[in-house]
Amino acid sequence: MRHAIEIAAAVKAGSVTAAQVVDRCLAALETDGCRLVAVTRILADRARREAKLVDAAIADGKDPGPLAGVPYGVKDLFDIAGLPTTAGSALYANAPPAQQDAEAIRRLRAGGAILVATLNMDEFAYGFATINAHHGTTRNPHDEDRLAGGSSGGSAAVVAAGLLPFSLGSDTNGSIRVPASLTGIYGLKPTHGSLPLEGVFPFAASFDDVGPFAVSAADLQTIWDVLADDAVAVGPSAFRVGRLGGPFRENADPDQIAAIDALAPDAPIVCLPDIPRARSAAFLITAAEGGAAHRAAFAQDAMAFDPATRDRLMAGALLPRALYDEAQEFRSTFKQAIAELLADYDVLLAPAAPCIAPTIADPRILIDGAPAPARRDLGIHTQPISFTGLPALAVPLLRPGRLPLGLQLIGRPGGEPMLFRFAAELEGKGLIGASPPIGAFRGNMI
Amino acid sequence: MVKTGMTPIMARSVKLLLSVDRFMVCLLTVVVAASLLPARGWATSWADVLAKLAITLLFFLHGAKLSRAAIIQGAGNWRLHAVTLASTYILFPAAGLAIVWLARGTVDPLLLSGLLYLTLLPSTVQSSIAFTAMARGNVAAAVCSASLSNLAGIFLTPMLVGLVMTVSGSAWVSASHSIGTIALQLLLPFLAGHLLRPLIGGFIDRNKAILLPVDRGSILLVVYSAFSAAVINGIWTRVGWVDLLVLLALSTLILGIVMAMNRLVARLVHLPREDAIVLLFCGSKKSLVSGVPMAGALFPPAHVGLIVLPLMIFHQLQLFVCAALAARFRRQEERGEALAADGSIDGTTRLPRTEGEIANAAATLGFQVPDACMPGIVANLAVLGGHAETLRGSGVGA
Repeated sequence: MRHAIEIAAAVKAGSVTAAQVVDRCLAALETDGCRLVAVTRILADRARREAKLVDAAIADGKDPGPLAGVPYGVKDLFDIAGLPTTAGSALYANAPPAQQDAEAIRRLRAGGAILVATLNMDEFAYGFATINAHHGTTRNPHDEDRLAGGSSGGSAAVVAAGLLPFSLGSDTNGSIRVPASLTGIYGLKPTHGSLPLEGVFPFAASFDDVGPFAVSAADLQTIWDVLADDAVAVGPSAFRVGRLGGPFRENADPDQIAAIDALAPDAPIVCLPDIPRARSAAFLITAAEGGAAHRAAFAQDAMAFDPATRDRLMAGALLPRALYDEAQEFRSTFKQAIAELLADYDVLLAPAAPCIAPTIADPRILIDGAPAPARRDLGIHTQPISFTGLPALAVPLLRPGRLPLGLQLIGRPGGEPMLFRFAAELEGKGLIGASPPIGAFRGNMI
Repeated sequence: MVKTGMTPIMARSVKLLLSVDRFMVCLLTVVVAASLLPARGWATSWADVLAKLAITLLFFLHGAKLSRAAIIQGAGNWRLHAVTLASTYILFPAAGLAIVWLARGTVDPLLLSGLLYLTLLPSTVQSSIAFTAMARGNVAAAVCSASLSNLAGIFLTPMLVGLVMTVSGSAWVSASHSIGTIALQLLLPFLAGHLLRPLIGGFIDRNKAILLPVDRGSILLVVYSAFSAAVINGIWTRVGWVDLLVLLALSTLILGIVMAMNRLVARLVHLPREDAIVLLFCGSKKSLVSGVPMAGALFPPAHVGLIVLPLMIFHQLQLFVCAALAARFRRQEERGEALAADGSIDGTTRLPRTEGEIANAAATLGFQVPDACMPGIVANLAVLGGHAETLRGSGVGA
């Protein structure tokens, strides 16, 4: 049983206790989580305490919530009361402990979910690879010689491997959608700012968001319902779908383009203007904001940073302010133009990561025919969408036995419910869906 | 400006004249007074005695003003103090020796000796700290560095004078005599003042404004005595305008070399911006306040006038240059502050590309770039530069 809603139903029905779910989950994380280099801290005591509370509530005839007894993990940048928030960096390994849980964790606890682990990431969320000098490189459950993607690679890997039914990650330029795409699961980047960021270590405030990973659209919607402030709005019964063209149909796996065309053969191809400029502006804003956040730490001990992020962050800190302003001005104009253009559509289709997972031995991908660092360029199709602030749901193409590929379903602001429904419809048609990895990882929570 | 009909050049000249410090005007007045009315006969002996007493009083006050606490407090920044001391007592003398050797024969040898002498002096205290503060440098470190330089100067300057200076004829008396003179006129009053600091330090610190005229008046007295002797020995028949201009050119050259080297060293040892300013200002200044009385103690009265003349020229030159630089650094810092709030470095849209530009930009933001990171940062800035071009619609991808 890999689905969150199935586990919650079983716990509520009394066919299994939350304590049993948590114990099995902890045992699996100890072995397979470490093997995938996906887990940074296992929170056994806290998880058992929370499980007891859920079981006690059920024994008292109370409803612990829609995620009753469902274990989950969080990317290593969420505040957890009593623990340092490391953001994947050795620099913060001994930081003062957080006073309270991040708001997202608080809401999930109120919904009955049980936090069991913190998960690996690129240091400070700067990268698409989850190559972390301190914790190691997270491996893809579908092929352990390949990257899981990043920066929320640990969060994606544990869900793809069936070790946890869901997890939380963060997405600044594609850090949820890229690993979801490479590991063959669902991942949501919500409308910018719609899910709580309180108690989340910032990377680039202009684009930072948190969101869940899961193995089905229904699970994702349940988690989103718990996390979001607003009730789910009712969407239209028919979807006006567009296929993003131009750069979104270049630098993509032919299977992704074929799938998009098969999903919506009659949908118009929509060409958004200035996509390369948007990606470059996103790159510059991210670099400047990311670098600025660490200036004090550079002065204290620059060499304590992960070599993979250190030079990028320092280069970003050195960007002139005027250039940053220029990028932000372009962003305002671009967002307005995109909003007008997308007024006629409910869902736009685009590739998520541009290819299958690259190998750890050669972490490069082809961009315009030339090799480029995966850590930097796996977000080529996600970054321009983050730039607009629109919600985007990464969904896995159903291709059992083959390495995963993902698509982005891009909605209008606040259009997450419509994306869940559209994804559920595609799932129903057998076009998309998470395929368990072949071999070792066939997670069976209960 | 419009009403008076001054051209911008004239206005700048007036401004420049006004910026000449008042003490310098007093010094020039005293030099003119000594030239027109030199102390003669019995007055010479009185002037000499008064000058010697003034020197003793000056070093007593130097000792009393020197705060050991300031040195101890700022001593942790040993790398900065080491390079500042090296600039004052190694780089300066080396530059002085080289320039004096190259300029031999162009002006009076005593003037060249004076030029060499000024390179052996300690740094200034007050103006180093004032300029560091104006440029928003590390004032605490400047206090420590300048104080340390003055403390060391009490011993090092006479020693260096003995080591590197060869004044023609009888100008340089025997080493044993000089040690006795130094001990009597410099060291003893300095140590007495410093040891009495627990008793009189508070009074001196509280009454700086009252003591300043005593300080300055003593220097003026030494200068009057020295120039009186020099005038009687025919200084103005030996020194003309050309000599003064040559001295100005040579002083500019020495100051330029030292300042350039200090900037370079600051980059090489990755000093943060605040400390680089301390090195620049403390490491490139020479103290008239110490130099004039020391010359009075170290050299025969007839030669002191010629010996201190280059120092007076250098003193005014360093004030001009440092004032201009300090104002410039302050403007840079103010711009940096306005932008730093949002995480960037300056008002241009140009990315730093070379290692020097990167180190400077990082220093502006208060951090140093480790050598190991430089290639990675250069490469990343090149990538970001490509994105800047694409953003502006001129990149390949656009």
